Amino acid sequence: MACNKKYETQLHKYLDGEMIESERTEFYNHLDACEECAAHYKELKKAVMLVQSSSHIEAPEGFTESVMDRLPVKKKRKHWKKWMRQHPILIAASLFVFLMTSSLLSVWVDQSGEELTVIGSQDVKIDRENGMVIVPEGEIVEGDLFVKNGRVEVEGEITGDLTVINGEQYLASAGNVSGEIEEVDQALEWIWYHTKRITSDVFSFGEEKNNE
Amino acid sequence: MDAVVKRLIRAIKKEEDQDAFAELVDLYKDKVFQIAYRMTGNSYEAQDMAQESFLRAYANLESYDEKRKFSTWLFRITTNLCIDRLRKKKPDYSLDAELQGTEGLTGYSQVAASEKLPEEQVVTMEMQEWVQREISYLPPKHRSAIILRYIEGLPIKQISEILDLPANTVKTHIHRGREALRKRLKDA
Ligand SMILES: [Zn+2]
Repeated sequence: MACNKKYETQLHKYLDGEMIESERTEFYNHLDACEECAAHYKELKKAVMLVQSSSHIEAPEGFTESVMDRLPVKKKRKHWKKWMRQHPILIAASLFVFLMTSSLLSVWVDQSGEELTVIGSQDVKIDRENGMVIVPEGEIVEGDLFVKNGRVEVEGEITGDLTVINGEQYLASAGNVSGEIEEVDQALEWIWYHTKRITSDVFSFGEEKNNE
Repeated sequence: MDAVVKRLIRAIKKEEDQDAFAELVDLYKDKVFQIAYRMTGNSYEAQDMAQESFLRAYANLESYDEKRKFSTWLFRITTNLCIDRLRKKKPDYSLDAELQGTEGLTGYSQVAASEKLPEEQVVTMEMQEWVQREISYLPPKHRSAIILRYIEGLPIKQISEILDLPANTVKTHIHRGREALRKRLKDA
């Protein structure tokens, strides 16, 4: 034990590296002269050294996977919408390539943050202000029509499927959809999946750039 | 490192990017597990506490202030969880310290030491178990300060932020912990 309380405090002050030059000189002189304090100091150093040398333990195998398994399930649509908002150019690029390869046509309308997206035929009327997509009477949309974030009114004809994402559809009595009418979120993922697959090169290039 | 962490946190906040979160877990899992293990002295509990730390971090990421160090915020969650856990089972942290000290370490130090030579392995194991046992005897507040200071090697200022205590209080905890360890480890 230190010869008195004052020196015990000094020992700890020294170990915390908080002594000024003059204090340190005085402290060293005392350690040279006082066996008790010198022993106390040695013991403290040894304890610290032992704790410091206790080897670093690593997290067990599969730790990250276990954490990820316990995370709350992500809301996919919200995720997509956020992504859309942050990467409009990437989406546009992806869709462009998608449309090129699948020979569909698309119209993009940027309407106060919510994108009204139409994938299908050009022969539709788009009411930007009201977020409406109209297949006019007498018009025939060849193939499928996808509409995101908009209301669809079908007065004419769609030969394929009509898929409405985040919106609603209205089929006029004169209108006709040969395929199925769907208002599901999964379709969004389906498009996304195919878009991503087809345009993976463009996509990853864009993302890398984005992360710089 | 800080730039990477910042980028990951932004991605998690804005896009709920779970892959980014997995990267973040990978970056900090060893340190968090180490703190939890040294605090609880038990690998099963440590795993539980460490996982819980990350889950809470994920759930509360909005409250993390990006101007501050992420590790400070994360380690604070971990130490709080561990101190709470130790408090709940208060009676046995001193009585069972010996048991706790050895129980968990055996499994992990065996894994960690498996690549070393057999002789080295024995010495390391014995020393480690002993040191960990002595750490387990410390009251939780002294224990957390000692672990953060000497095992994680953090400066007093950061420890005071992690434990939400004034720097002088942290120093006192470290002094007390150091004195207790000195008495127990001097006859090594
Ligand atoms: Zn003295």
